[in-house]
This record gives sequence, C-alpha cells and structure tokens, in this order.
Amino acid sequence: MTDSKQTLSVMDRARSLVGNQTSLLILVMIVLSIVFTAFSNGTFLSTGVFANILTDWGGYILLAVGQTLVVISGGIDLSVGSTVSLSSVVAGFVMVKVLGLTAELKGVDAWGVLFLAALISIATGLVVGAINAVLINVLKIVPFIATLSTFGAAAGLAIIISGGMPMQGPSDFSLINPVRIPGIDPLVFDTGLFSPMVLIMIIVTIVVGLFLHKARFGLYTYAIGSNAFAARAAGINVKKHTAKIYLVSGALSGLAGFYAYVRLGSGSPSSGTGMELYAIAATVIGGASLMGGIGRMWGTALGTLILFTVQSGLLMTGVATDWKQIIVAILIAAAVAVQTLQKKNGAR
Amino acid sequence: MAGEVIYEVKNVSKRYGSVVALDGASLKLHAGEVLGLVGDNGAGKSTLVKVLSGAHDADGGELFLDGKEVRWHDPRQALDAGIETLYQESGLAPHLTVSQNVFLGREKFVKGLLGKLGFLARKQMEEEAHHDLEAVGIAVPASNRSVSQLSGGQRQAVAIGRAVSWAKKVIILDEPTNHLGARQAGEVLQIVKAAKAKGLGVIFISHTLPHVLEVTDRVVVLRLGKIVKDAPTHLFDGDTLVAMITGTITELPSEKKSQ
Repeated sequence: MTDSKQTLSVMDRARSLVGNQTSLLILVMIVLSIVFTAFSNGTFLSTGVFANILTDWGGYILLAVGQTLVVISGGIDLSVGSTVSLSSVVAGFVMVKVLGLTAELKGVDAWGVLFLAALISIATGLVVGAINAVLINVLKIVPFIATLSTFGAAAGLAIIISGGMPMQGPSDFSLINPVRIPGIDPLVFDTGLFSPMVLIMIIVTIVVGLFLHKARFGLYTYAIGSNAFAARAAGINVKKHTAKIYLVSGALSGLAGFYAYVRLGSGSPSSGTGMELYAIAATVIGGASLMGGIGRMWGTALGTLILFTVQSGLLMTGVATDWKQIIVAILIAAAVAVQTLQKKNGAR
Repeated sequence: MAGEVIYEVKNVSKRYGSVVALDGASLKLHAGEVLGLVGDNGAGKSTLVKVLSGAHDADGGELFLDGKEVRWHDPRQALDAGIETLYQESGLAPHLTVSQNVFLGREKFVKGLLGKLGFLARKQMEEEAHHDLEAVGIAVPASNRSVSQLSGGQRQAVAIGRAVSWAKKVIILDEPTNHLGARQAGEVLQIVKAAKAKGLGVIFISHTLPHVLEVTDRVVVLRLGKIVKDAPTHLFDGDTLVAMITGTITELPSEKKSQ
C-alpha cells in the first residue's frame, strides 16, 4: 500500500513539474507556429516577427500576471486596462505639465525622468488597487462590480487629465527596440528578439511567479481561492491578503502603463482600452479557473504568448484581422472546455 | 481521570438578526476529558463551535481559558492560544497539498533572506507533515498530494490529524465522523482517544449517537440555543439521549431514581 502511494507521488511530482496545461499550451504554440509558417510561405518564422509578438506580449503580460493572482484568489480585476490608460496619462502629465518637459528630451538623456515616470505609473496603479481593495473589503462589493466601477472611473479620469489627447513627452524608443548581440551580422542571423523593456517584463513575471509558487504570498492566494473559510480558520487574515493581491495587480497595471508610455512616447488615454479582456483571456487560456484555487504563472505567460502569436499569424497569413476577436473567443472556449475535461478525468 | 478545568464558557449568547442561536450557554471542559455536544439541527451546536474557536464574536457572555478570561475576535487568536477546531464543512483547502494544509497559517520558511521574503521550506514541511500525521495515528497519504485527490475519509483524517498535532490545550471536532465508513469512523474515534490521553480537552460534536456514547466522558445537550442537560455519559443510553435531544424528557431516569 505504501509502495503504490510512493509511485503515485512520483507521478504527481512529474505531473506538477510539467503540468498538463503547460505541455498542452506549448504544443498549441508549436502547432500554431508551423501552421502560420506554412500559410505565410515561411515569412512567419523569423526573428522580426517573434520580436513583434514579444513586444505586444510585453504590453499585456503584467496585466495577465496580476489577473492570475486575482483569479486564483477567486476574484476578478476589470480595472487593469483603464489603469494602464490612467497611469500612462498621469506619467505624461507630470512630465509635460508639471515638470515642463517636451519630446525634445530623447534617448539616454531621458532615462532619469523616465525612471521617475515608471515610479509615478506604479504609484497610480497602486492607488487604483487600493480603491479596489477598499470597495471589496470595506464596502463588501463583489470584485466584479467593484473593479467595474474603477474601470469606468479610471478611464474617465484618464480622459479628463489628458483632455482626451495623447500627451507627448520625453522618450527613448531604443528601450522598446530589440537588442542585437554585437558581432553577429543581423543579415546572416538576426539576434534581435528582446527589447530592454520586454526583458524587464520577463523578469517581473518570473519574480511574481516565484512569489506565487514558492512563497507564502502565493500559498495564501491559493488557499483563499480554494476555500476562504478554511483560510480564515487557519488564521490567515483574508481581507489583508486580498487587499495585497489587488494592490499588486494595480501596481503591475501601473508598470504596464509605463510600458505603454515608452512604446508610444506619450501618455495616451486610450492606451489601455480593451486590455482587460485580453488579460482575462490570457489567464483563462493559461489554465486558471475563475472559480479560484487553480492557475499557474507559466500557463499565463504561454497563454498571453499564444494570443499574440495568433494575432500576428492571422495578420501574416493575410486572414482579415476582423477575425481576430472570433479566434480569441474560440481559444477561450477551448481552454475552458479542456479544463472541464481535465477535471472530469482527474476526479475520483 | 479528568484534570483541571481548561476551557470554560459562561452564559454565552449569540443572535443572527432576530434569530437567537445561543441563549446563555455555560459549560466547563476539563483537561483529558472528551465532552460530547449533541442537539438537533438548529440547536446551536455549530454556533457554539464558532464562538469557541473565534470564528464568531459572541454577543454576550465570557470565555475562560486556564482560568483566565479570553476574548476572540479572530480564529488566529484562538489558534495561538492552543485551541484547534475541525469544522463540519471541511476546513481544508482542496487545491492545496496535504502538507500545505497541515502547515497553513504556520508555514516554515527557508533560511536567510529568501525566508524573510516568505519563501517556503516545502520539503521540510512535507516531511514534518508526514511525520506529525503518523504520530497521531493517521495512515498518511503522500503529503505532497493535493487534498482534492483524497477520498472523504482521507481528507477527514488529515483534517483531524492537523488539529490534534497542533492543539496545545483544546480540540473541537464538529461532526468528525460524518460521511465516513465504519472502519474510518473507528479510526477517528481512536484519534479522539489519543488526543484525550495526551491531556487535551476534546469537544466532540456529533449526530451519530453511538459514537458519542462510545468516546465521550460527559454529554451536554443543546436545545433551541439552551443547554438543557450536562451529565456523565454513563447515565445516558441511546434512547434517553434521543429523548433528551428531542425534548420528550427533561430528566434522566437515573436521576429520578437517585432522588
């Protein structure tokens, strides 16, 4: 009896190491890449195309990362897209209207002020996250409605602050352009895959992923989403931890707002419009359950990658981009169907 | 055989809106004693459990632990004081592993800076969870297994094992043998006896009266939020216990005889 249990535990370990969902997502990625490459006469499979996919990925990944935490805890955060708009606008506003800087400030000279812009963006996101936490914890509003309110309020505030127009300010587009390994001729082999900003996004994703899967922060997040009553009975301060999760989601959205600012060289009130839907889609495609308790950071990173691979592939193969939303819808439905099937198979 | 009074409830009341769930309940629990708490649905058993475990604030009344007055605003405070509770609706998080559940709220961290940042000593907790559960007499399923993969009996065993291994003074078991087969229920009763032998005060809440009669030293009967009887278990049999719970009798035949 003990022997069979031991073998099972090894199986479990192997499974949790790879993760059903993760291997499936990698397979989906490979198949998509092959299909798109075939239908684009080989042009899809190039460094440039994947660099573009990664640039898009970088814009959305932190929203998906934050959403993953929120969804695992059993909540939802609809405010993330508007938070991107608001934080990019606030960063632009401070630089242009408060500090009186213009788009003349470019390149390395702009780094100091861009660092400040990053901090302002994160702080703006934290404020939205704090409001979400208060609405949910103090006013006892369900997360869907609480974050729907801040979704509207943040979008409106972004328009008011910016006057509805992008606020162009200091910029350094080299931060968003892929870096090539020196000494390798890009015409022979293009090594330009990751921009500095994308690398930062990857690092942040890994760090949050480690806290989710290896640290107490993540354990409590899963515990609350799995059984909030049990979490409270075990002595976890559920409200405090829930507040932390929405604060982190807000801060990550704020940093994504800075990414949007760097990408456009301006704070635009529409830079985050509709992003929340992609963030939720990526999270669900990545295997997280909106019922809480289930989800992995790997899955979310791959889910986001699949979304933008599909988008880019459709563009390259000449399928009208109008189909994009329908394909995304199919992906979400398929992801949830797979989850349900896995649950059935796994159930005893 | 029973020791000093370890946990005392004096005149505790609790209402939910206009519903009076507990109406001036008082009882004493001794160290090394198993106290049975019985009553019909809605008699106030679960409410009393929640007050005792800190999940609910009482509206009135006092709690004394080791003779000192205590007040819980949070389950954490009761846990820290040495009171463990097994709730009727499983107190386990199904998506977490056995060891994560055993150590939930009392995690062990890796050494150094990472530990300060909250990084967990997973291996250590898995090994200790396995060891601790075995020590209280539970055939442990692999402790890195998710609880949702366990059978109902195994889940209950883990939940009880967690409570017994952490409890320092009092352990409250709300329907611990519910939905269990005869063999598994027998194992649970063994664990209860082991907890008693450890000198813990055990509160055993159950609808399964044969289990109550088998394992408890004293029985407290709740009806409509009030404690209507508090007597040694040997004075009850199955019939008198049912009659007492439903209110068809208010005095035990043995008491009448002795008067």
